[in-house]
Amino acid sequence: MSDVSAESTRQASRGETILRINNLRKVYGDLEVLRDIDLEIKKGEVICVLGPSGSGKSTMLRCLNLLEMPSGGTLELKGETIFDGKRTEKLDELRQDTGMVFQSFNLFPNMTAKQNVSIAQVRVRGRKKDDADRRSVEELTKVGLEAKVDEYPDRLSGGQQQRVAIARALAMDPEVMLFDEVTSALDPELVKGVLDVMRGLADSGMTMICVTHEIGFAKEVADRVIFMDGGYIVEQGPPEEVLGNPREERTKQFLGLVLEH
Amino acid sequence: MEQFFNTYFDFSLMGDYFGDVLEGFWWTIRLSIFGGVFALIWGLILAVLRQAPGKALAPVRWVVIAYIDCLRGIPMLLTLLLIYGGLGTLQSEGTIPQWIGLPEYFGWPSYFWYGVMALTLTYGAYMAEVYRAGIESVPRGQMEAARSLGMSHNQAMRFVIVPQAVRRVIPPLLNDYIALMKDTSLVSVISMPEVVRVGSDIYSTTFNPSALTLGAILFLVVTLPLARLVDWQIKRQDEKFQRGLA
Repeated sequence: MSDVSAESTRQASRGETILRINNLRKVYGDLEVLRDIDLEIKKGEVICVLGPSGSGKSTMLRCLNLLEMPSGGTLELKGETIFDGKRTEKLDELRQDTGMVFQSFNLFPNMTAKQNVSIAQVRVRGRKKDDADRRSVEELTKVGLEAKVDEYPDRLSGGQQQRVAIARALAMDPEVMLFDEVTSALDPELVKGVLDVMRGLADSGMTMICVTHEIGFAKEVADRVIFMDGGYIVEQGPPEEVLGNPREERTKQFLGLVLEH
Repeated sequence: MEQFFNTYFDFSLMGDYFGDVLEGFWWTIRLSIFGGVFALIWGLILAVLRQAPGKALAPVRWVVIAYIDCLRGIPMLLTLLLIYGGLGTLQSEGTIPQWIGLPEYFGWPSYFWYGVMALTLTYGAYMAEVYRAGIESVPRGQMEAARSLGMSHNQAMRFVIVPQAVRRVIPPLLNDYIALMKDTSLVSVISMPEVVRVGSDIYSTTFNPSALTLGAILFLVVTLPLARLVDWQIKRQDEKFQRGLA
């Protein structure tokens, strides 16, 4: 199938390191949530992060755009240091370059789908309202919601809301997209629509870091799978290795539990 | 029974003084509108300052919290008397400018504006607490989503959080407004001829409280519909909320 060719296009466009994480730590009081995370993410790479709940995977993701302030370590985006142990001045700029999609969608309920996608384009990117709206319709069309641009979130299904959230992030032209268990709150029949959008995005060359429980999606779409437990990266590598033939006992146990049912 | 009616509902007396009482009530209305609008704005400013982020702004938060706690802990009558007793003197000594010490905007007397100040300072503190509850009732994810799109804290507050909070706080703010309207009667003690003052002046010459009854009726004409409006708003929001859950 075309999976192979999509994969190779993506490989070809890769190279340059876009995000570099060194010694990332996060503690809440006495609780160490992240310990010495080192990670290098290349442009166009699709990374899926798996692990049991409480393993620190969501915290790690939220540290990458500093929604959660790391307790230590450094972060570099496109060669520029954006965190080196203390709060950065460039916080808002960093966040403009990293799109984030949340488990609970977090659409603005007082705005239509289009307004949701437009607001940050106008207020943050400084685009004219007409241009922003045009772009919003374009992005919403891409996620299959051209008929819903003027609906309020409470009139949309969970899957549709999540696709609006993806469009909202993409309209900001981010360098990296962060997905935080974006299908976990969805009814089973709505999951596919969202995963299809993410698959298309991966094929288009977007750099993506997805915290997910969708093993099938990880197997099919990820360039690299990271397995986390207890605040560490236990194991990482191509999906066929980590998922198909894991080296670490903890990875085996976790996959055993997840794949059982 | 007849005695009761003659005491409280002396219609001929009400008729004779209707114009005076209405004029007093017109001051009551003006006090409540100016005090109410300024308290709404002042309360929102306080609430937003109270949510100021980061360590650097902690002193701002402390000052605002102290202000809110103090003004809610002092009877409004006392605040009013402190303003009335001090500003005029300070102004005449040149410590503070005339526009604040002896305000006479629109040609209305200074004690009207002292009343507006006391209402604003006190009810601003109450309304700040209402706004805060409203701001805190907006789910955390809304702020996170706004910030993740690159909005600053202030932008997120202005475009995302506050517009949602304002909708939720309309009923409690209306409740505060009803309370504020009734508290305008306190301004009578600094010789503001609002409806209660007018009524009791009439009582002291006629020895019949019917003018005060008339004042009470005028209050009810405004506050009862407002109370119904609050209930209707709450009901409407409940329905919306339930729809949101479904």
